[in-house]
Amino acid sequence: MGMMTLYHGEPNGPSLTVLAALYETGLDADLVPIDLSLGERHRKAPLGVESAMSIEGEGPVLEVNGEAMADSVFLAQYLDERAGGAGLQPSDPLAHWEMMMWCRYIIERVAPAAAYLGNRAHGTARLKNLDGPAFDMLTDAISSVDLKQRWIDIRNGDFDEAKVADSATKISEAVDKLEERLADGRDWLMGDFSIADLESYAWLAGMVSILPSAFDRAENATAWMVRVKARPSVAAALACAQSDDPTTAWAPGPEINRWG
Amino acid sequence: MTEQVALYHWEPNANSGKPMLALAEKGVAYESHYTDLLSFDQHKPEYLKMNPNGTIPVMKHGDRVLTESTAIMEYVNEAFDGTALMPEDVQARWRIRWWMKFMDQWLGPSFSMLGWSMFVGPSVRQKDPAELDAAIERIPLPERRTAWRKAISGNFSDAEMAESKRRVALGVEMLEAELGRHDYVASDEYSLADINWFNSTYSLPLGQPDLAGKDRTPNIMRWLKQVYHRPAVQETWTKGRTDLASRYRLVMEEID
Repeated sequence: MGMMTLYHGEPNGPSLTVLAALYETGLDADLVPIDLSLGERHRKAPLGVESAMSIEGEGPVLEVNGEAMADSVFLAQYLDERAGGAGLQPSDPLAHWEMMMWCRYIIERVAPAAAYLGNRAHGTARLKNLDGPAFDMLTDAISSVDLKQRWIDIRNGDFDEAKVADSATKISEAVDKLEERLADGRDWLMGDFSIADLESYAWLAGMVSILPSAFDRAENATAWMVRVKARPSVAAALACAQSDDPTTAWAPGPEINRWG
Repeated sequence: MTEQVALYHWEPNANSGKPMLALAEKGVAYESHYTDLLSFDQHKPEYLKMNPNGTIPVMKHGDRVLTESTAIMEYVNEAFDGTALMPEDVQARWRIRWWMKFMDQWLGPSFSMLGWSMFVGPSVRQKDPAELDAAIERIPLPERRTAWRKAISGNFSDAEMAESKRRVALGVEMLEAELGRHDYVASDEYSLADINWFNSTYSLPLGQPDLAGKDRTPNIMRWLKQVYHRPAVQETWTKGRTDLASRYRLVMEEID
């Protein structure tokens, strides 16, 4: 089926999902760490149309058979299916639909909000350290016009206060939704462990320090986060970190829905 | 599974067209509930009881209630026998999912912004403003209310419209290139990705002749023609009630 090479960033957000999914499946892949927060994806990873135009923004790239694949949920599904079904997706059609609906909610509503807040807290300061020519070199390599604009906005510290407030609301709502989902005492979001747990954890782990109030009364969600983090696959993914605290590693993520 | 299937859908177009075509490809008979988007049927209390988000389509399968058109298609493909609408090849499956999401999340909203400003907005604005306001107030999700207000008023800024036009032009270019790499969208077999893309692009040669046509996008024209002639498409298009249905025929004539 072709060797796999995974170009990944710090284990936070999409890189965390894909690294952990890889360890869940036990498949072999060459791991190449790159600094997504400095735009290295556009110079050090192979890019095709799907990875250059990825809706996820700056996520990991998986190269197989000369094709540069992107988008963390779909990469996790690919790994699970390539392994012949590693148990990361329910086989019942309704349960599968439910998992995909959950993941879609995370991708469309939660990830853009988390990326907005994460980059505001950590991305701007980092990019301001780059001098003009170095930043121009970074953005010149980016072919997606709207992704490039998100880089520029982050470096300029150009965050719309209404979007900041709305993003905080979306994160709080997501935590409430987790809390409610876990209220029946289940360990994992879909009953059995699945990609939904990985994707939700990957985007929310960095929100605990940025928006602690969202987690204040969320006992179930907090206990679930401890469980996810303790899984051997997630622990192995976190061990790939090059920095002390990967939850502070952010790069431009998905855009906030243009229709509001 | 022998439970009854019921589909609440609008025109065989964009989101409603996706489960309609997937069910037709699978040969699954369904109870059709035409839900008139322009009369806000989807915001009426009985509809909201079924789908609190007030989005079309909704599919009922026995006592299961499913929403979100692309996710419904995946369910249909997995829950029913008949033609497989996802290939076995795992890398192709990844590609198909990518292209569907790219349409649903990046390109589709731009198509609908242009579609709303040209077609839906003007026809909805002929209704009584008080009635429109009441219909919007019934929508439970605040972000859906905002989207509908924007859509109905047609108050898209020049910058928003320009961005949507840029995306549509780029999306058409990407589709043309993709159909040079593969026979169908994202793979060499007819799949859910084709249904997804076809529903938003079939009328391009008529609506946007500057972007798509025989000379400019030969791959897209080849593909549209292949898809047009599928029995499932022919059968599904007879379920349309508005001008959109006659537009289909015009596009067909132009291609044949």
